[in-house]
Amino acid sequence: MSTLLSQSAAVIKMNIQSLPRRLWMSLAMVFASAVVVAILLAFLAMSKGFEATMESAGSDNVAFFIRTGSAAELNSSAGRDQVNLIENSPGIKRDEQGPMVSPELYVIVDGIKKSTQQEANLPLRGLDQRGVNMRKGFTLVAGRMFNPGTDELIVGAGVVSQFDGFELGQEIRFGKNTWKVVGVFSTGGNVFESELWADAKVIQNLYNRGSSYQSVRAVMESPDSLGAINEYLKSEPRLTHEAQAESSYFAEQGKSLSYMAIFGWVISSIMALGALAGALNTMYTSVSDRAMEIATLRAIGFSSFSAFIGTMAEAMTLAVVGSLVGSLAAFIFFDGLSTSTLGGSFTQVVFSFSLTPELFTKGISMALVIGFISGFFPAWRAARVPVIVAFQSGR
Amino acid sequence: MKDFYLIYKNLTRKKMRLFLTTFAIFIAFLIFGAIMTLRSALNSGIEMSADNRLVVMHKISFTNPLPYAYVNKVKAMDGVKDVTHANWFGGYFQEPTNQVVTMAVDPESYLSVYPELVVEPEQLENWTKDQSGILIGERIAKANNWQIGDRIPLSSNIFSQKTGGQTWDFTVDGIFKGNDAKVDTGYALIHYKYFNETQAWGGDSIGWLILTTTDPALNEQVSKAIDENFANSNSETKTSTEQAFNKAFIDQIGNIGLIIFGVVFMAFFTILIVVGNTMVLAIRERTNEIAVLKTLGFESSRIFKMVLVESCLLAFLGGLFGIGGAYLIVQGAAKEMARFLPNLILDEAIFGQALIYMLVLGLITGIAPAISALRLNIVTAFSRG
Repeated sequence: MSTLLSQSAAVIKMNIQSLPRRLWMSLAMVFASAVVVAILLAFLAMSKGFEATMESAGSDNVAFFIRTGSAAELNSSAGRDQVNLIENSPGIKRDEQGPMVSPELYVIVDGIKKSTQQEANLPLRGLDQRGVNMRKGFTLVAGRMFNPGTDELIVGAGVVSQFDGFELGQEIRFGKNTWKVVGVFSTGGNVFESELWADAKVIQNLYNRGSSYQSVRAVMESPDSLGAINEYLKSEPRLTHEAQAESSYFAEQGKSLSYMAIFGWVISSIMALGALAGALNTMYTSVSDRAMEIATLRAIGFSSFSAFIGTMAEAMTLAVVGSLVGSLAAFIFFDGLSTSTLGGSFTQVVFSFSLTPELFTKGISMALVIGFISGFFPAWRAARVPVIVAFQSGR
Repeated sequence: MKDFYLIYKNLTRKKMRLFLTTFAIFIAFLIFGAIMTLRSALNSGIEMSADNRLVVMHKISFTNPLPYAYVNKVKAMDGVKDVTHANWFGGYFQEPTNQVVTMAVDPESYLSVYPELVVEPEQLENWTKDQSGILIGERIAKANNWQIGDRIPLSSNIFSQKTGGQTWDFTVDGIFKGNDAKVDTGYALIHYKYFNETQAWGGDSIGWLILTTTDPALNEQVSKAIDENFANSNSETKTSTEQAFNKAFIDQIGNIGLIIFGVVFMAFFTILIVVGNTMVLAIRERTNEIAVLKTLGFESSRIFKMVLVESCLLAFLGGLFGIGGAYLIVQGAAKEMARFLPNLILDEAIFGQALIYMLVLGLITGIAPAISALRLNIVTAFSRG
């Protein structure tokens, strides 16, 4: 056993040291696996970043009411009388001002995206201080809160970074109305940072919404209160709404970019096949390049197993180096890259690519598969070619 | 002819290498064909837009309605040929995730503004007469397996019926096709009048206006006139060409074009390196033979050509299989993806591009080894061997 190990170690060392002789072929294999890993990671990081932006926005303890069948906030509606009914629902927490309920409006306005200089949809949310307090992690990073009853608004940090003209102190025109940016807020990077917030009553007035709202948020006594709330909604014929935990609503919305991850897997798997063909070429060349060496070693008593291991180790080394290069490139170019896309309510969601350790593992695993397959068959040949044939072909 | 025999022998001397290299090229062109088709499908809305068609919507956003009276006001303006209007119905079939893009329109004027939509005259007549009828696009019909005469309940995620509930029953009266395979038919049309009378919110409002100008040269002038006319009203408008409107919508999803270009470029570059290396290696192994050929009197330029032809043959061998494979995949995926994507078509333009890239790949991978073969000195080659 120990001879086997020391033989293998010696052969591995020889293989690695002979790599510079096949420099370009070896680099081609490293490059091919690096590209496969980088492409896979880019798509996964995109999907992951979007998911994180959505999921971190939702709270388990907040019930989110939208009209049944409306799927997204934009399509929902709730009249003032319906909001009053929701306030009477059991399971909702109360404080000195009454039930902790936030009726909100959600309208679409246009902003100029910095990256394309094209107009894109932004959500303008109408709410009051109660609603603001329900957002976990809310902080004003600049300026102050809007004053109720005025045409002041506060802007999410994501909007400021991706769109033109939303800096503190700017005036913005939407249609006939002019708004003044009095504050910039952060909610820890989640989807609310892609929004503009203003007083709900002002928006009702400017957008001819009367006294109606679109969605309602309410703080629950505990996450278990949801059952009681939904029972109440069903028993009240004047309500056409359903309640879900805010966290599950956003988790559902976060899946809308999962097609990017699927696309990434499909594309990188197909590319991996191409890279594999290149890697097999490299490894077969390596075996024929060292045919003389392998034959000599086997003639002086090295086992065929050590020849096998030597080639396998070479392939795995090249693939792993490739995956590290690819991961590093993906990390440098994509991690934290901020971009925006259309979310569930037809509005832009600003999010950052996020490369988690878990994703790196996936990338490296893919490279290891390439390394293993591309090493196995040539290694098999190295181990099995009769010594005499190897001597002849090596000459 | 003799040269071709030699090239053939050179190509096939190592069967495993030939297979692996061809396979790598096959993969590159498979990705190229599939991705370019996807890109052209996503951009078909831009490509297929008529150059004299304008879209008028509310200045704040397309979700804000416009008053119905705007239709006649715009119709009376100079340079305007036909005007029609549409309302977003927000339709889905049974499950909210199973979206059916449905618009409430005025049948006659809508089809005159969109002449690329083709309906059998008999079906069109039935639909025009039938208030609760629906005209569905071919792609939707395929995706859902709907046929003429089917009763389909469509729910709206925005509107409610006056009588309660959010589901309307429609009869499929006809199926429209495009006069070009690239025209998207992934939506359905219902009667605006019926929709407006039955929905609970009431109010004669429309989602947006679509109009054609008498001459594309007037586009700018007409857009300006419309927007100025409604300036300072309660519903200010924003008019853009159909092309700009569709492009802005695609751009909202993000820079798809750049991502796709990036993937194709990287795939190509990788394959280029893999194949280029293999070619260099293959020629280096043949140093001796090339020296023999030169000794026998083969001109250097003839050998140079032979090497290039060999690398080009390799590129076309893998490339043609690859683009063929992409064609088969696209054919297979077109029906599966009908629910989500516009018509997937691998057309002559993409095939032509692929041929050019095959030639480029063949020349680039062959040029370095061909030059070294050209310059090969017989004496040093023999002494090295």
